[in-house]
Amino acid sequence: MLLLVAGCAVTAQEGDRYERQRLAMASLIEAYGVRDSATLAAMRAVPRHEFVPDEYLNRAYGDHPLPIGNGQTISQPYIVAFMTEILNPAPRMKVLEVGTGSGYQAAVLAQIGCEVYTMEIFGALATSARLRLGRLGYGDVTVRHADGHYGWPDQAPFDAVIVTAAAGHIPPALVDQLRPGGRMIIPVGSVYGIQNLILVEKRSEDDVRTRNLLPVRFVPMLEGLR
Amino acid sequence: MTRHARPLAVALLSASTLAYEILLVRVFAIEEFHHFAYMAIGVAMLGFGASGTFLALARPGRERALRWFTGAALLTPISLIASAALVHQVPLDSTQLPWDASQWPRLAVLYLLLAVPFAVGALAVLLALTLEPDRVGEIYGAGFFGAGLGAALALVILWIATPARALAVPAVAASLGALSAVAVATSRRAAVVGALACVTLAAVALARPFWRLDVTPYKGLPQVEAFPDARRIAERASPLGWVVAVDASAFRHAPGLSLGYRGTFPRQTGLFVDGQIAGAVSHWGEEPAATAILDWLPSAAPYSVGGRGRVLVLGAGGGTEVWSAASHGAAVVVAVELHPDLVGLAGWVEEVGARFADVQVTPALGDARSYVARSTEGFDLITLGAGVAFGASVAGVHALNEDFLHTVEAYVDYLEHLSDDGILAITRWLTAPPRESVRVILTAGEALSRVAPQNAIDKLIVVHSWATTTVLVKPSGFSADEVHALMSWAWERRFDLDWYPGVEGPTSGFNVLDEPVLYRAALAAVAGRERAERFEAGYAFRVSPVDDARPYPHHFLRAGSLGTFLRSDRGSWLAFAEWGYVALIATLVQSVVLAGLLLVLPAVVRARVTMTRSWLRLVGYFLAIGFAYLAAEVAAIQQLNLLLGHPVYAVAAVLVAFLVCSGLGSAWSDGRRETDGWLAALALVGMLALCGALLLGLVHLLQAAPLAVRALAAMLVLAPLAFVMGLPFPLGLRWLARNGAEGVAWAWAANGFASVVATPLAALVALEAGSSALFLLAAAAYAGAATLGRAGAGTRSLLEA
Repeated sequence: MLLLVAGCAVTAQEGDRYERQRLAMASLIEAYGVRDSATLAAMRAVPRHEFVPDEYLNRAYGDHPLPIGNGQTISQPYIVAFMTEILNPAPRMKVLEVGTGSGYQAAVLAQIGCEVYTMEIFGALATSARLRLGRLGYGDVTVRHADGHYGWPDQAPFDAVIVTAAAGHIPPALVDQLRPGGRMIIPVGSVYGIQNLILVEKRSEDDVRTRNLLPVRFVPMLEGLR
Repeated sequence: MTRHARPLAVALLSASTLAYEILLVRVFAIEEFHHFAYMAIGVAMLGFGASGTFLALARPGRERALRWFTGAALLTPISLIASAALVHQVPLDSTQLPWDASQWPRLAVLYLLLAVPFAVGALAVLLALTLEPDRVGEIYGAGFFGAGLGAALALVILWIATPARALAVPAVAASLGALSAVAVATSRRAAVVGALACVTLAAVALARPFWRLDVTPYKGLPQVEAFPDARRIAERASPLGWVVAVDASAFRHAPGLSLGYRGTFPRQTGLFVDGQIAGAVSHWGEEPAATAILDWLPSAAPYSVGGRGRVLVLGAGGGTEVWSAASHGAAVVVAVELHPDLVGLAGWVEEVGARFADVQVTPALGDARSYVARSTEGFDLITLGAGVAFGASVAGVHALNEDFLHTVEAYVDYLEHLSDDGILAITRWLTAPPRESVRVILTAGEALSRVAPQNAIDKLIVVHSWATTTVLVKPSGFSADEVHALMSWAWERRFDLDWYPGVEGPTSGFNVLDEPVLYRAALAAVAGRERAERFEAGYAFRVSPVDDARPYPHHFLRAGSLGTFLRSDRGSWLAFAEWGYVALIATLVQSVVLAGLLLVLPAVVRARVTMTRSWLRLVGYFLAIGFAYLAAEVAAIQQLNLLLGHPVYAVAAVLVAFLVCSGLGSAWSDGRRETDGWLAALALVGMLALCGALLLGLVHLLQAAPLAVRALAAMLVLAPLAFVMGLPFPLGLRWLARNGAEGVAWAWAANGFASVVATPLAALVALEAGSSALFLLAAAAYAGAATLGRAGAGTRSLLEA
């Protein structure tokens, strides 16, 4: 019984610690210029440490990407918040995410109340993200193991599309599957370093506009993790 | 046999360190980016300078010098292997230098690790000189001759071995040098054992290198190789680049593809040079319509205004532009590509012909400027693609790359090789805020003003997609029908026309820019130089056209903006980040600190002198000749880059010429009066001033000649210059030694310090003012040395108070 109580106390302490770190992370993101209240609230709520491998738990809330296996990373918190904010997220918005990774971005969107469909090209990552999201109460997020280049025609159209893997071009299928009035955010450039974020706005079926937003610095992984 | 042992050892050790220096340039270009080349040269100089200072301060007796010589010879191969292995363990991220203080000590460690083999190798050479004062000329000559051979050896190795394996070859050469040193060792048995151990170690490293190339994750190759089913299907190595082909089902390369495209994507193989995307081989299949995607790329814009019978593709890479020309009805396609391996792997020569039987495809291997210079044909279209990957373009990692394809002289050349109806088409990535695109527009305007100045307003079209800008230049002017055809083509593809004959003002299109800068740039470009200069002066980035003397079209950072950029945390000034420039500044700072610590401080501690005028003269003389030598070398490398068509050829040619001829000059100096150093410096003032004024013109004259002729001409120009440049140092040193040995330590320290600092400093001067100005600066430094030397020659000793 004593052991059980002690165990619960340790867990509670850990929970407090992560919450403090999460709040500090959200404050930092706000200081960097993210203003959307829904986005910030989601960043304060989603337990990012659940989305990183155990060996990086103590770094989970630093403003760095971290490796998640298969040569892939969980994006740095600032980038996740920045891209989320640009989508003008709102409850019941139908969002397609290309590049599930560990599922953190999908969880942030789901926390806001979005209906999230997320695709991952690595099968192992798709499986683990599906299990993780279910365990954390984000079971409404639908995860599919597939090449995001072709989008998700069965569930189209989407109110927003968020591409979290860098691409040298904008897959036409993703534009097609965007609802008129929808927005897509896609980073173009290197996986790390400076990328240009391209905002695609589909005003109507025949009126698609793009805007090359200011560059964003995608910081590399922490030392020794590459 | 024993008589030749020491010069032979010196030659082999010098060959090994020089080869290592050149190979490091290649390895840094692969693992990091081109700007790290300056680091490789800088560390070599640091090592050489440090050993000189050490020896001058330690002044070992003969017995100790004999032991040290053998020891240094044995340590050279070991340090070459250890250095190559250990530098790959230092987790440096150069892009974090401005923000992350922990990167600086890592850079310092890297610097020191790299400097060690150069220091040890140079120590052996200097000890040999000390041990045989009556054979200084012979040993000095052997050192320089060996170094020259080392430069040639590095080139040969790079043709036959992968860069990782090639890095072990200098250790093999050095271990042979160690073996030669055994003949003059005091403890023969131990030396034999040591030398054989070195040979064994080097052989093992060659067979199975203790390191592997760790390509920065900022480059495209590691990213594509992380795809699920990625497979490296081919790998080729040459001095021109490390070419890798990767198959991955998720890899797709279609720069700036229209958002309106609804067709299929071909399966593609990614081609990478030095880890960066260099194009894609598209496997079109049997479907006749498979190549339709090519008409939805921005680079297809020139075909929308009518058929282009004869097309010249500059930088064919994976062949996308070649396929595009063929599928748009070209009858003749000449495709210039610098990398033969790219052409071989891409296979477009055969495949285009097989698919389009009536199209004649001719590959032209070599550099594009040289091809254009010697071509007598007129083309209906000359096209240049976007080149490097988007990420590299945004991040400014190519800021220090000399690129002679986008200078005013280059554009003039292209325009002069167009047929009466011909078009020049240049596609570049559109960054935010725009800069490369703006410079292309202004450069095109400047070239147009030189070739066909009348009605420039009707000769330029600027079109941009969501990711690229394409600039079309037609010296004969675009007709109204052509403009309408292009407008219709662009509308369908959701591309925007920023400038065209008849444009009335900036329009808000599909791909919105915060400011209509492309329109404004085009307006300024066609309105003459004065208006263009006003536009350039008012733009946040440096976007004025560049020329062959300052061929840095990817450098946009204004020096004055650097402070603001470094003070910023994130965000608004990020666009001004230019990693190449930042890395160069970092290398310069680090060079000053390390050279000060390793070269000057020991001299201060051990060779204390009163700072008299004579002492200042001594330091000034050796500082000046140290800086001048390196400045002249960097300027020569830059101009020969244009002449020979590739930086590796230029570096090798300059190093071979400078080392061999300076060695001969040094050997010849034995017969001259030691007070004549200032005369040599004076002669160099004239020679370098001539280089500054005339060399670039000569390069332009020779560009059309075959590579062998160009290389020979380069040697003939550099040989006398390098010969004389070999005189001031040994003459000055001999004079010092005769008049007071205490000054020798300071001479080494001053010369070493200048050599180390001069490499990044000269690169910075070249970037800001151009190579011709750098030649003049080298001349000015020699003028200073001549003045100081002349004044010093009137006194008994430079250290005489």
